Amino acid sequence: MTTSFKLELRRGTIVVGKWKGGRYRVERLLGEGANGKVYLVQKDRDWYALKVGADAVDLQSEINVLGTLAKQKGPGIEPFLFDVDDLYAPNGKEYPFYIMRYVRGTTLDAYLKQQGAQWFPLVGLNLLGKLARLHKSGWAFGDLKVENVMVADYGHVDLVDFGGVTAIGKSIRQFTEIYDRGYWNSGSRTADPKYDLFSFAVLCIQLHEPKRLHALTKELLPQNRSTLDLSGLLTSSSDLKPVAGWLKQALEGGFADAAEGAEAWRLLMHRRDTRKSSATPGWLKGLAATTSVLLAISIYWLLRNMM
Amino acid sequence: MKQILLVTDGCSNVGMSPVVAAAHAKSEGIAVNVVGVLDHGDVGELGASEIDEIARAGGGLSRLVNTRQLSQTVQMMTRKTVVQTIQLAVQKELKQVLGNGSIEALPPEKRGEVVRVIDELGETSGLQVALLIDASASMKPKLAAVEEAIHDLMLSLQARQGKSQIAVFHFPGSRHGDDCVLDMAWTEHLNGMHSIFPKLQMGGTTPTGPAIMHVVDYYLRGQDGETGRKSRYGTDGMMGDYVV
Repeated sequence: MTTSFKLELRRGTIVVGKWKGGRYRVERLLGEGANGKVYLVQKDRDWYALKVGADAVDLQSEINVLGTLAKQKGPGIEPFLFDVDDLYAPNGKEYPFYIMRYVRGTTLDAYLKQQGAQWFPLVGLNLLGKLARLHKSGWAFGDLKVENVMVADYGHVDLVDFGGVTAIGKSIRQFTEIYDRGYWNSGSRTADPKYDLFSFAVLCIQLHEPKRLHALTKELLPQNRSTLDLSGLLTSSSDLKPVAGWLKQALEGGFADAAEGAEAWRLLMHRRDTRKSSATPGWLKGLAATTSVLLAISIYWLLRNMM
Repeated sequence: MKQILLVTDGCSNVGMSPVVAAAHAKSEGIAVNVVGVLDHGDVGELGASEIDEIARAGGGLSRLVNTRQLSQTVQMMTRKTVVQTIQLAVQKELKQVLGNGSIEALPPEKRGEVVRVIDELGETSGLQVALLIDASASMKPKLAAVEEAIHDLMLSLQARQGKSQIAVFHFPGSRHGDDCVLDMAWTEHLNGMHSIFPKLQMGGTTPTGPAIMHVVDYYLRGQDGETGRKSRYGTDGMMGDYVV
């Protein structure tokens, strides 16, 4: 249930903060989360993301989490909360907003389509790394799904939409059904690192077998959904074969947290039989094809000139 | 915190107005949320406006959804209403302290502190949700989805740090003269509970108003009843060990 609200900020609109007076020029809409809309904005030639919400309490709750995270600055945690303020909309109403780092990149599924599935193992590892940092500081991401993972050049991963981020031990603040452990009758909705790893496994299935996963949600009765159904899907998928064992373990809560999961994933990536799956690299196949075409053309010319 | 969650697909047609009943609930500190379940056909303009008005009178939220969205809607509504209930209480306090009731009027830093308190209370305070299910004939194909939503809600509530209980009612009752029947008394888990509505005979009138009143009554009596039972146990000697 997304709370869609009418506010629309047009390109070129200047947003001025009511309390601190920060000025931002709106460029375009980046996306819509459960608590509001995210716009690309510019201030002093720098790009930022602006999230504006309909409900002050909902948005502030998210800001509080981001604020706490920002304070726990550790290695690899970049600053991402720059400004918090209210804006006056064209309709005269006030809306709360906050300014965060602009994450460049494309969504995970688009990235793999453009760049090729061979990036998947590395992207997966980087994603686990991101989750591991959150877990280490006492948080679960909560709403992990394909749409909330952005990938930039060379498989660099960033998480977006922190509306689901929950302190470990509390109830998950926001989740999406098919990625939810509770939906599959496989555990509670209390935030713990294993919750994210379960979602991570579903995310991998969603990337490689979206149709079969969707079919599974349609055909199973709610009370019959289980981890076994997901595991069954794993073992019969050729794309997921190299990581099937790992994913199964994640679904069953076999890894204590993302750091442990990442370690096992890394070992898997560097095993020779995992990598060997496609013996001839793509570029080599391409080269062979080009060569044979060139050869055919040359022979054709040769024959024609001889006639 | 107390809530009633009404799941229905149409207009009430017997007895007192559900809007009045919902206002009664609100005055007893019980918020009333309403979900209108659509699926083929619709609740009609009259149904839609009644659903909206019941929630407004009951200080809760209303949504029109199809069965596929039911679980998620019920879960989100309950959560949102918890926050709203606490927010109202906090705003009352704020009014006394600052002379200004609205959280939006606070500067962002102060707002952050207030919301931290709201979130904490929302997670830890006790919560009771009474589900009131319309079991008139047209609801029959939707009952499976309703049961799923109840199980799903229980799962979400169990994840809270505070104590959470649900009770389930349906209406109309199967026998004449019953507006509403209790299917499940206050409970904290649904383990092993596969069918909440066994052999339900569906049909008859739609006494939404009287059913809401019945649940309000249960809330009031229920607590009296509990203490009454305890004292009875006491005189039976079952709690004798605790008496010094």
